[in-house]
Amino acid sequence: MTRSLLGLAFRATVGTLVLVAILGPLTSLLIWSLAERWHWPAPFPQQLGLKYWLRMLQGDPLRALTRGVGIASVTTVLALLMSVPVSYLAARRRLPAGPLVLALFVLPQAFPQLPVFASATVLFYRWNLAGTIPGVVLIHLVGGLVYAVWTLTAAFRAVGPELEEAAVNLGASATRTFFRIALPLALPGVAASAILVFLHSLDEFNGTLLVGAPYVTTLPVYMYTASLGYELQIASVTALILMAPGVVLLLLLERFLRAEYLAFFGHL
Amino acid sequence: MSRWERWAWGLATVPAVGVLVAAFGLPLLQSVGASFVREGRFTWENYAIVYRLYRQDVLYTLGVAAGGVALTFGCGIPLAGYLRLRAWPWVEFLLKVPLFVPFVVTGHAMRVFLQPSGTLAAMLTAAGILPPGARLGIGEGWLGLVLALTWKHLALVVLLLVGAFRGVDDSYLEAAQGFGAGTFRQIWAVLVPMSATSVALALVLTLTSMLASFSIPLLMSRGSGPQMLMIDLYYRFGQHGDFEVASALGVVSYVMASGAVYAYLRSVTR
Repeated sequence: MTRSLLGLAFRATVGTLVLVAILGPLTSLLIWSLAERWHWPAPFPQQLGLKYWLRMLQGDPLRALTRGVGIASVTTVLALLMSVPVSYLAARRRLPAGPLVLALFVLPQAFPQLPVFASATVLFYRWNLAGTIPGVVLIHLVGGLVYAVWTLTAAFRAVGPELEEAAVNLGASATRTFFRIALPLALPGVAASAILVFLHSLDEFNGTLLVGAPYVTTLPVYMYTASLGYELQIASVTALILMAPGVVLLLLLERFLRAEYLAFFGHL
Repeated sequence: MSRWERWAWGLATVPAVGVLVAAFGLPLLQSVGASFVREGRFTWENYAIVYRLYRQDVLYTLGVAAGGVALTFGCGIPLAGYLRLRAWPWVEFLLKVPLFVPFVVTGHAMRVFLQPSGTLAAMLTAAGILPPGARLGIGEGWLGLVLALTWKHLALVVLLLVGAFRGVDDSYLEAAQGFGAGTFRQIWAVLVPMSATSVALALVLTLTSMLASFSIPLLMSRGSGPQMLMIDLYYRFGQHGDFEVASALGVVSYVMASGAVYAYLRSVTR
């Protein structure tokens, strides 16, 4: 009896701690985003309202949002088109110079990004890509390709070679087999991969800050500028908009997202 | 595959490889090269400058990352172990939430949460724990950084560890229970040793990510005192326009990340 009471007390304590620790910082974003007037040291804002949310619907923030969505869409399409052949060959162990090529697709995860992106900025200046949208897409493709190749390789591996072997035995060419059998069966994986790449590009900050400066401002860069300028309400509204797609995804797809896909989100 | 098809498929992999070479491989090599050059000549001078100006920041970075890893795993191992042994769906769900919160957003959220007159101070004041008007000092120093980094990384660590722990067969746990092992004994004596490889991998990845963290310290930064290495690199590059010393700082960070590089490469060649 005392044991179960102790267990209950333990669960209540740990549960409360987790709740406060995880939701505390996120709640402060929400409060700040609604605080029209908040003079310290009052524990809560004197006046709440949607003023700063409405301000997001116009001017600079809206431009940053639409530009970011555009960049993310282009990045997603390009990343998927480019990574499908690599992933399919990798899944079937037919990739020329396999381990070497695959190493190229994991190293961006392992190396610190910032020095590499700083160096990329120097190169992009030489190639007239710095401060341009194509330059930002190119830098977003680094992470995007890594995510796409790994999720798609897993997806193609899960399809299994038996059906393809049957098709080949019936006289279909390898390419026809790919388009008629492997690709349709792997479509759920392709969709997951697209979402991942899109969110990566939408939230990407380090590369955009370096390569995009000073002309290309996406939402994360806009949020950074607002936060450093002590426009905490504007920054908090932007922060909530940035995290919204991911959290909605988590709520809707929790049971469908496999752990190996989820793990990729930790790097966003 | 016919010979024609083999060529076509090989050619189709060229764009992806090309992009990574141009936007990652070449810049990586260029930064290593630039770290040994000053005014067009080979020199160790950049590293001498790093030693002179930034050696304390290197130690600070190592300290913050070590603190973050200790706190992350100090919380993550018991939590993941408990979630493996007993179902607790809503806590497992909550712990996943930071996975979807980008690093920059985490930095800003922690800034408004932990700053001296931030929301945490307001909540503690409202709860009567802090006297009215008191300021909280943790957001500005190393502790605020450790808390913010832990908040972001705990989700991934719990996810990886729960996955690894679920791979341990129930029969081992039942045997341990038969000998009278309680929850914590089962975690420490069965789950952790039997998933040692996964735990070590998660540890290396977390450490590297924290050493190379940029947006979180950038958003929580203050003007003075020791800085994280990536902040130094950013200002050296952006404000001083000193790509050579910035590259030397970068190479120092590559060396710090070599554990993760090794772990990732092994996962491909296996």
